[in-house]
This record gives sequence, structure tokens and C-alpha cells, in this order.
Amino acid sequence: MHNPGYYDFFCGVKTVASHQALACIPNLLRELGASKPMIIADKGVVAAGLVAIVEEALSPAMPAMAVEDDVPVDSDVTTVHRIAKAYHGKGCDALIAVGGGSVMDTAKGVNIMVSEEAENLLDFSGTGVLKRPLKPLVAVPTTAGTGSEVTLVAVINDPSINRKLLFSSPFLLPDIAILDPRMTLTLPPHLTAATGMDAMTHAIEAYTCLGKNPMSDAFAMEAISLISKHLLPVVNQPDDKEGRLALAVAANLAGIAFSNSMVGMVHTLGHSVGGVCHVPHGTCMSILLPYGLEYNMHKSGPWTGELLLPIAGEAIYAATPRELRAEKTVAWLREFNEGLYKATEGRHSRCFKEVTTRDGSPAVPREALGDIAKTALGDGSIFYNPEELDFEDALMVMEAAWEGLPLDMDFVKTA
Amino acid sequence: MGHFRGVSSGSRVMQRRYIAFMLWFVGRAIVAASKADKDVKQEFEAFPDGFTFSLGSLPSGPRMVIQKKAPGKVRYLGQGKGEAIDLNLTIKHLQAFFMILSFQESTATANARARLFVDGGVPEACAVVRVMDIVQVYLLPKVIAKLAVKRYPVWSWRRHILGRSVVYLRTVTGI
Repeated sequence: MHNPGYYDFFCGVKTVASHQALACIPNLLRELGASKPMIIADKGVVAAGLVAIVEEALSPAMPAMAVEDDVPVDSDVTTVHRIAKAYHGKGCDALIAVGGGSVMDTAKGVNIMVSEEAENLLDFSGTGVLKRPLKPLVAVPTTAGTGSEVTLVAVINDPSINRKLLFSSPFLLPDIAILDPRMTLTLPPHLTAATGMDAMTHAIEAYTCLGKNPMSDAFAMEAISLISKHLLPVVNQPDDKEGRLALAVAANLAGIAFSNSMVGMVHTLGHSVGGVCHVPHGTCMSILLPYGLEYNMHKSGPWTGELLLPIAGEAIYAATPRELRAEKTVAWLREFNEGLYKATEGRHSRCFKEVTTRDGSPAVPREALGDIAKTALGDGSIFYNPEELDFEDALMVMEAAWEGLPLDMDFVKTA
Repeated sequence: MGHFRGVSSGSRVMQRRYIAFMLWFVGRAIVAASKADKDVKQEFEAFPDGFTFSLGSLPSGPRMVIQKKAPGKVRYLGQGKGEAIDLNLTIKHLQAFFMILSFQESTATANARARLFVDGGVPEACAVVRVMDIVQVYLLPKVIAKLAVKRYPVWSWRRHILGRSVVYLRTVTGI
């Protein structure tokens, strides 16, 4: 066990997990003194029929006063302002976020606006700006990845400066998280893969970065074990309800782990790729995860080596000498990505040059790597990375991740 | 209800004086480095004019306040004189601050142990931490600076020797 000398650990979200968990929402909201919820979702979630399932679970006990379903792929400030206005207009008193990370983050942003009766969300950017509890917020994740239902942060894009802004406060934690596998059953295999690897990255960075502690380690280990066991089978067989519930629980565990330990350079770079090139977060995470572990190997290698047990199982762990376990973990993650690439018929990208936009053009042009590296230096997660990461380091990692080649360890500065 | 005697924390006079001196010295060194070091200069160039940040300890200081007044003009404002602070870096308590400034605990470790609060923009906080890392490398012998920063940088001898001399000279003389 790694004892950091001091740590604190908190998770104040009531989590309800079952095959029929949605049915509990009206009673849970009533306990919080709310009766007029607004549902926030995106078009994809509505088209998949998921909002209809939630509405059915709410009515007739507590029908939704309004449904706002126009959240973009990357949550942004303009959308938050617009939905906050609608919330006041409809006389709502609670929020139900039905969606992935973008919807959750948008709902958290809206909650800041409506609770603080604010004019501009940007006034609340940063850490610890919020000073009091917000309106009741129920989080219903429709992907098993972000863990946003149990995190105290929101990342919201400000298009005017092309940067993702961080909002962090314990008051941003949702009051209730609903894990119901009906919400992820229709998720296509490539999105299941990317979001699953997002959760995997949360757990692995929580375990290997500077903020790790024994309690978050326990959550991270279980999350890694569940994802390793269930992700590929669920991608191959999307209607596996038990597997879906296991992945939802894993994402939740990983969310709790990284909320308390924070994350490192995989997120530092991933946020920047998302901000500059609008690549989905899960895709960035799955590509960058092996690189982050390689880059930090001289600092956090022993912790990375310990992860071989939940990732590859007892037999492989026991058969691998201690000094080779970290490298084996990285190799296994690359194989895992390769397996997901095959299972999704090439839609799960292994490197940034494979990522394309909807019209088939490259999403991450090589010329953008400099901008990505520069933007990364302003991301808060950089504080928690075991090794320093300057512009040259970030660019080197991005170039390798673009090509899909392992890091040349001779160029990793160790002192 | 019973009557309770008010209890205040120990004053830790020596620690407080040591921290106040270090903040005074580091504050002046940041100003010096903003003129002498290209990386520090570049970091300050990215801040808007009037940007003010503070580094201090709860519950009542000490602290230092630095302000970018105009391009190329950075001022150390001592404990501050009521200026609006754009970025507040606050250490949880005096003892934790002493551990950081006596190099028993690096800034990164202190942050990971939740001893450092950031109130303000995260990109600006990242830039300020980078500035302070560079200044620490200038001010401290390698063996101590290695305890304070994540990775001791590889600099040219010119930057190490000449840069350090200029930063020290400007810090002490205030020119």
C-alpha cells in the first residue's frame, strides 16, 4: 500500500445501480424537495429513445417540465447560457442530465447559472469559486466512461478563446447518480470502446499519478478489473445487459477514484486535442494512455507494474518478472486497443492520424500538434503528473501518438 | 450552553518570520527573473496588464503579491495593499507552507496532498507555478532545488551562471 502521508477522500453522491434504477428518480427528487425537473440531453440520446425511457419512468409521478435536447458534442458556454434561461422560463427546480460527459458538464454549468442567478458562467471558472450548494441534480449517464456522475468538475469549452475551461467545486457533485443499463444498451460498439477506455484511463491515472491514495487505489483497481473483463465482450455483444451494468459500475468507480486522486498527462494532452481539434475525449484517452504510462515509467513504473494483475489476470501477472510488469502493462494496453480496433472494424482509432471527421478528413492534422502541445501547458491536470511536462516533451509525445509508434525512451528527459 | 474559552493557533514566530523573509526574497526574485530570463519574460507577456497574483498562507498570511503593470513591468507589492487579486494561490496552513519553503516537500507533492488551493484561472496558475519553478532553480543550489521541482532542468552554463548572477543581483539591489 502506498501511504502518501496525507490525503482526503470524499464521495457525496448517492448512487443507485440496477436494471430498473430509473424508477427511483421521483422519490429521490422528492426527498431533495424538488418536483419540477428539467431534462437536459443531446439529440443523439433523444434519437436513441433514451429520454423517452426516462420520461416514462418519471411520469405520472413527476413529469418533466421541459426537455432541452440541443447539447453539442463539446459542451460550450453559449449552450449553458441558453439552457439556463429556459430553466427560469419554465419554472423548474431541479435538473436531470441524461447523456455522456458533455451533457453532464453542461448540466453542471447550467446548475451554476440557475443556482447563483449568474449572468456569465465564466465568472465561476476555476477552483473553489462556488461557495454554497446548488439546485438538485440527478445524473443519468448514457455512456460507461466519463464518470461525470460522481465528479466535482465540469469542462466547458469557450469558443472565443478555443480553450476548455475547468470548473471545480464539491458543490458541482450531482446529488444522485442513476446507473441503469438500459441507458447504454444502444451505444454503438466504437463509442462503447472509446468511453470504456476513458474510464480505464481515469482509473489508471488515478492509480499512477501523484494524488494516489489507498482509498482511491481500491476503487481504481476494481474499475480496471471490471473494464478489462467486460469491455471487449460488450463491444462484441452490445446487448449483454450484465456486462453493460458492470461497465457502468466500473465507470462510476473510476470516476470516484480520479475525483479524489486527480489525473495526469494523458488528460493534459487529451483535453488539448479535444480543445484544438474537437476529437472525442474517449478517443484521445485510448490513444494517449500507453504513452502517458511510458513517459512516466521511470517515476511510476512500480505502480504501473501492479496494474498488470487486474488487467491481464493472475496467471500472466505471476509469470511476469516484477521488473518487466510495467512494460507488459503498456504492451497489454496496446494489444487491448488493437483488439477494440478489430472488434469495431477500424472505428476505434489506435493513433491520431487514424482519427477522421464525419466527412472523412483527418481530424488531427500534423500541423496542429504544436498548438496542442502549447495549449496543454495550461491544463490543471499537469500538476498531478509524476514527471515534468514542458512544451518539447508534450510535442514529442504527441508526435509519437500521431504516428502510432512507441515513445523513444532515449528522448524522455529524466533529470 | 456552556462557556468556552477561545483558542487560537500558536503563533510559530520563527516559522512565520522565515516564510515572510522567503516570500520577500522570492517575490523580488520573480521580478528580477521577469527581466533577466526569457522563459519567465514570456510567461508574463501572456498575462493581461494589471494581472495580479498572490501566494500566501491561511489563515492570515504571510503572503506576497505580484502584479504585471504593463508589458515588461512586473512589480512586487509586498503583502498587498488591497489590490483586486486575479489569482490566489493559498497554502492550507503555516506548517505546510514552512515545509514547502524549507524544501521538505515539493510544490507538486504539496498540491497532490491538497495543501494548495487555487482560486482563479487554472492556465494562469500553471504559468505562475512554472515561473516559481524557474526562480527556485536560479535561487537554490542544485541539491536543494531538486527537492523543490519535479525535474531539474538542463540549462546552458551561461543561463546557470550568468542568469543566476543577474537574478541575484537584481533581487538584492532591486534594480
